[in-house]
Amino acid sequence: MRETGRPLLAWVGLAARLVTGIVWIVAGGLKITQPDASINAVRAYQLLPSSVAEVVGIALPATELVVGLALVLGVFTRGAAVMSAVLFAAFIVGISSVWARGIEIDCGCFGGGGTKAGAASAYPWEIARDTALLAASLLVASLRRTRLSLDSLLFATRPAERAATEGAMT
Amino acid sequence: MSSNSKASARAQKAAEMRAAQNKREARRRILTIAGVLGVMVLIVGGSIGVSLLNKEDVKAAGAGSSEYGVTIGESDAPHSVVIYEDFLCPYCGQLERATRKDLARLAADGKVFVEYRPFDLLSSIADYPIRATNAFAVVLEKSGPDVAKKFHDLLYENQPSEQDPGSMTDDDLVKLAVEAGATEGDVRADIEGLAQQAWVDKATQEAADSGVKSTPTILLDGKVFQDGRTIQDMADNLMAELE
Repeated sequence: MRETGRPLLAWVGLAARLVTGIVWIVAGGLKITQPDASINAVRAYQLLPSSVAEVVGIALPATELVVGLALVLGVFTRGAAVMSAVLFAAFIVGISSVWARGIEIDCGCFGGGGTKAGAASAYPWEIARDTALLAASLLVASLRRTRLSLDSLLFATRPAERAATEGAMT
Repeated sequence: MSSNSKASARAQKAAEMRAAQNKREARRRILTIAGVLGVMVLIVGGSIGVSLLNKEDVKAAGAGSSEYGVTIGESDAPHSVVIYEDFLCPYCGQLERATRKDLARLAADGKVFVEYRPFDLLSSIADYPIRATNAFAVVLEKSGPDVAKKFHDLLYENQPSEQDPGSMTDDDLVKLAVEAGATEGDVRADIEGLAQQAWVDKATQEAADSGVKSTPTILLDGKVFQDGRTIQDMADNLMAELE
């Protein structure tokens, strides 16, 4: 499989997929069983009306989980990477916004959330982390194929390769 | 038959096979995409289902029926409001500033029956929530609900920051209690000695049992009220409901 023509970049892409994907799986998984905390965390940003905050608080962890699984497995990789980048960009905007407004909250990134004294000191680091993950997501989105992705099994187009992969699957 | 037409027949057959192959390929692709999408929808749906099953609604006792609070207004008012709060929580302080006067006026007009239920949510930050709630319980027991409500108001007016909760000493609590109308001799020893620690624990347990996980939690006529983006929005919307 020499899809990218740049083997090193394909491996870097795999690493970026795994890192961002695992972050999403952990972030989503921790929140799915704690919906009230999740809703509360969204509400604490004071950006969304209450009823919308409730929907986002429930839907976001599920989205995070599925984006994470897609990235780790490498299925619909580019779509998942774009979604991942959009989410990270949204979080960067959210954290910057509370920072600018002087609101001190736990970002609720990995469960928890709500007001927290002295939380502002964590904002620069949280934004730096999300920026790095945003960059990793964009890298994955920019690559046609990365290593060890389910996409290359599912959507192999060259007949010879298809025969080989089908053989491997059965 | 000329070899020429044989060749063209072979070519045609090959083209048909390729076309069939392409069709199978396209079909397989569509099925694969549909399959993956289906699995994704199942995961999202399942996750949302798990979340909804784990969601706990706040089911609190009606205003006036808790042993761990003070009420203002008459119990037969058309609306009831219950406010769960922690004396250290800054949003509770904001809510107090935004609603106290209006709630007091509406209660006096017979439009609403309000119960304030302080409990300890934030003692992980410092012991202030326990000390303040204990002091509140002491004043409630020794000097009655009217003085306790006034003391509650003074505690919020003099709320320490979460960064420095120790700036409010036990001595300051006693002074505020006296300012609210308590007799120093009645309350000093019990405030300093945390005599109502059990009351604080029970109030906190009751809040937890009711599903209250954050402060301020407002219940309007038994239902959680959180209509608004900010505390000020919420306060304005709450007043609009009550007027």
